[in-house]
Amino acid sequence: MIDGYKRLMNLEEPPPPKKAKGFFTDTSLCIGCKACEVACKQWNQLPADGFAITGNSYDNTGHLGATTWRHVQFIEQAKANGRQEQRWLMMSDVCKHCANAACLEACPTGALVRTEFDTVYVQQDICNGCGFCVPACPFGVIDRVPKESTFEVGTAHKCTLCYDRLKDDMTPACAKSCPTASIQFGDVEELQQRARERLGELKARGESSARLYGMPEGKEAVEVGPLHAFFLLLDKPAAYNLPEVPRLPRKTMAERYGWSAAVGIGFAMVAALVFRGGRR
Amino acid sequence: MNEGQGYYDNPVVRRPVWTWEVPAYFWLGGMGAGAFVTASVAQTFGSAEDRRIAADGYYLAAGSLLPCAPLLIADLGRSDRFLHMLRIFKPLSPMNLGAWTLTGFTPLAVARAASHAADSGLLRGPLRVLAGLVPRRLTELTGSLLGLTLAGYSGVLLGATNVPLWAKSKLLGGVFMASALSSGSAAVTLQAARRGRAPEATLHRLAALESAASLGEMAIVAGYLAQSGRTARPLTTGRFAAPFWLGAVGAGSVLPLLLHRFTRRHHGRTLRSLSTAAALCTIAGSLALRWSIFEAGKDSSEDQAASFDLSKA
Repeated sequence: MIDGYKRLMNLEEPPPPKKAKGFFTDTSLCIGCKACEVACKQWNQLPADGFAITGNSYDNTGHLGATTWRHVQFIEQAKANGRQEQRWLMMSDVCKHCANAACLEACPTGALVRTEFDTVYVQQDICNGCGFCVPACPFGVIDRVPKESTFEVGTAHKCTLCYDRLKDDMTPACAKSCPTASIQFGDVEELQQRARERLGELKARGESSARLYGMPEGKEAVEVGPLHAFFLLLDKPAAYNLPEVPRLPRKTMAERYGWSAAVGIGFAMVAALVFRGGRR
Repeated sequence: MNEGQGYYDNPVVRRPVWTWEVPAYFWLGGMGAGAFVTASVAQTFGSAEDRRIAADGYYLAAGSLLPCAPLLIADLGRSDRFLHMLRIFKPLSPMNLGAWTLTGFTPLAVARAASHAADSGLLRGPLRVLAGLVPRRLTELTGSLLGLTLAGYSGVLLGATNVPLWAKSKLLGGVFMASALSSGSAAVTLQAARRGRAPEATLHRLAALESAASLGEMAIVAGYLAQSGRTARPLTTGRFAAPFWLGAVGAGSVLPLLLHRFTRRHHGRTLRSLSTAAALCTIAGSLALRWSIFEAGKDSSEDQAASFDLSKA
């Protein structure tokens, strides 16, 4: 009977864990070619988002969403860090595959799971489109497809870290297509080591504003944990629309329930007193 | 050119995709739960008269809970998969906890309403026998616990996101709980005042309870606004200012308090009219509160500065 229930509810044993996989996106190498956006769309068969012109530099993608899993930002800065010349920062944004993922914790159906590669994945046959993961994500990554779309209508989508390719020992499409190795794919531990070395190299060359975002020791990892897709940035995180300390809703949930319970118990006690007063 | 602190004026978080079904469900579910709890407290502590009058609240509780599940299902992106909500038990997710609570509470509220109908002679024949089998005390106790959970989790659910207006203050769960209980006790009053047979003392006691609930609600809303600070601006100024200040605060709390002060000196028809008016105001204000905070939260999700403030070290 238990087996029958598990079959009915699509409950399977997870595959044995493997080494954690992730992305190290080194924005100092990004040239803004958007090959990652195109490769992602092609491999994952994601529909186009239309031809909206945002007016924000070369960025006509706008933001990550249900059908956009890589997004190249173009940040135009004048006189940054005391320089006289203009500088142009580019960054290919993606799902961070957080160690403590807010979307995964919010998911009521168990559609969002952690894979054997320690990545965060939405099972499309389970998701019922409740939409709770959308505002839960502190990075604004995951989104639900509108009911009138032509693409897997009504469910939540985000970067899968090319789970299908990983199963076959292949590199995710975006990293494969990146011409400058700005997007590097591999074992998270090894990538973190590589990132530390690269940061030291840039600092030695005088790039004093370079920093890593999403490392275990960073303050951005305090709540959501290390990011399995992490970044080398050339400015403070806010310049790339990244939160200083991304919030994990679970951290404050007990306090929220506490206030709610206090009001409820208070009301019940007042009601008991009021009704008791009418009993003679 | 990039002049602000963030990436152009792009939002940091995604705009919630939920539509009107969600605040409507929070309102109805909260009111039903509040009515059930009020009626059940009266069953335990009240006089025979109070018990009889307050038990009519079970009808409203059941009536307002029945549309809740359809509203929730309608809001899903894939409504055909609504049963996946109950595929696992995961109280860490307020959405999952709420789905289980609603599933457990709705039949209890309907069963208790049926047993009250059997007691008051509304049901006949085999239905009456069946409804008479419902264990009243047990249903009241477990139903009240589930009802308080249902009334309280909705604000926690919105708070457990990264939408600044919902998440900045930790009090939203308390605000929604207070709104649910004040509207629930108002629903009981509405039933009681409709009938000429309700003793005036009972109406006065219900008015006292509603006044206490309104005062508590005003206090916790004030705390919520104070903690939210500038983050609350999409709610307190702009297009949601009127529904929030006039609807939720004015009609929902201040006006009923004033009306209840008048009821103390009145009797008979006037008392019943004043009680009814105050109860309707509270119930309408409760809807305005849920709706304005819900909708203003969507705008708040696009407030880049508020998002950076929420994630400040």
